[in-house]
Amino acid sequence: MQQGDGVETEVTWEDQQNINAFGRLNNKFHELEDTIKAKKDMTDNLEDASNELILADDPEVRYLVGEVFTHLAVDEVEERLEALKEVNSQELESLQEEKAEVIAKMAALKKTLYGKFGDSINLEED
Amino acid sequence: MASTSERRGIPAAAFVKDVHDFLLQYDGNPGTCLTALQEKLQQYKLAEMKLLGQKRDLLAKIPDMRKCLQIVELMMHKKGNQEAMTMDFEVAEGIYAQAEFRDTETVCLWLGANVMLEYKCEEAQELLTRNLDTANKSLKSIVEDLHFLRDQMTITEVTIARVYNWDVHQRRKQRAIRPEAETAVA
Repeated sequence: MQQGDGVETEVTWEDQQNINAFGRLNNKFHELEDTIKAKKDMTDNLEDASNELILADDPEVRYLVGEVFTHLAVDEVEERLEALKEVNSQELESLQEEKAEVIAKMAALKKTLYGKFGDSINLEED
Repeated sequence: MASTSERRGIPAAAFVKDVHDFLLQYDGNPGTCLTALQEKLQQYKLAEMKLLGQKRDLLAKIPDMRKCLQIVELMMHKKGNQEAMTMDFEVAEGIYAQAEFRDTETVCLWLGANVMLEYKCEEAQELLTRNLDTANKSLKSIVEDLHFLRDQMTITEVTIARVYNWDVHQRRKQRAIRPEAETAVA
C-alpha cells in the first residue's frame, strides 16, 4: 500500500473500517482453509480405517481411545467410525459454507475499495 | 469498534482524519511521525506474537483434554458390562502392556503438582467437561483480542501509508512551485 503515487484521496473512517474488515476476512479465509484441509484429511483417514476394517479377519480390533488401544469388537468400531464420519462431514460442510460467505464478503469489499481508491490500494495476495 | 479505546491493556490506534492536522503533533515533520508510527506497529506486533503463542498453547491443550474425556466416557459406557475389557497401554515410549479393565465406579485424575485424586466417573466427566469449556472460552477471547489487535495494526499501517503519501504529495507541490529547488536538492 506504500507505493502510492502521491495522488491524494481522502481516507474516511468508513474506508478505514472497510479496510479493517477486509484484513480480518482475509485472515479468517486462511484459517478456514487450514481447518478445511485438516477436516478433509480426517475424512480420508476415517475412510481408510473403514476400508481396513472390512478386510480385518479378527473379530476384535484395537481402537485408539485417548492414549490407550482398546480391544473392541469390529461391529462396535464400525459404529464409532460411522458416528465420527457423520460429525466430521457436518463440520466440513458448515466450514465450507462459511468460506463461501467470507469469499463473497471479500469480493464486495474489494469492489467498494477499488472503486474508491483505484490503483492506490492493493488488496491482492503476493 | 470505534468506541473502544483499549482492550486488555492494548491501546487502540487513533484514526487520523486529516494528515496535515495530525502532523502538527510532530511539528509538521513527517519523518519523526513515521518513526513513531513504526514503533507503535512494532509494539502491536509484539503483542500479537504473545497472543499467538497463548493461542497455540491452548490449541495444543484442548485435544489432550478431549482425549481424557473420551476415556472417561468409554468407561461410563462400559459400566454394568460384566465382561472385562482388554486394553493396550503404553508403559514407556514404544512399549505397550495389556491390562484388563472391569466395571468401575471411579477414576483417578491427575491434577498436577504431584496430586492425583479419585473421582466418581460422573464427577470426573463433569470436571473434565468444565475444564474443556473454560479452555474453549479462553481460546475464543484470545481470538477476539487478536481481531482487535489486527484492526489496530491495519489502522496504523494505513496511517503510515497516508502520512508517506502526504509527504510525497507535499514535495511534488513544492517542486512544482520552485523548480530550481529540485536541482539544488539533486
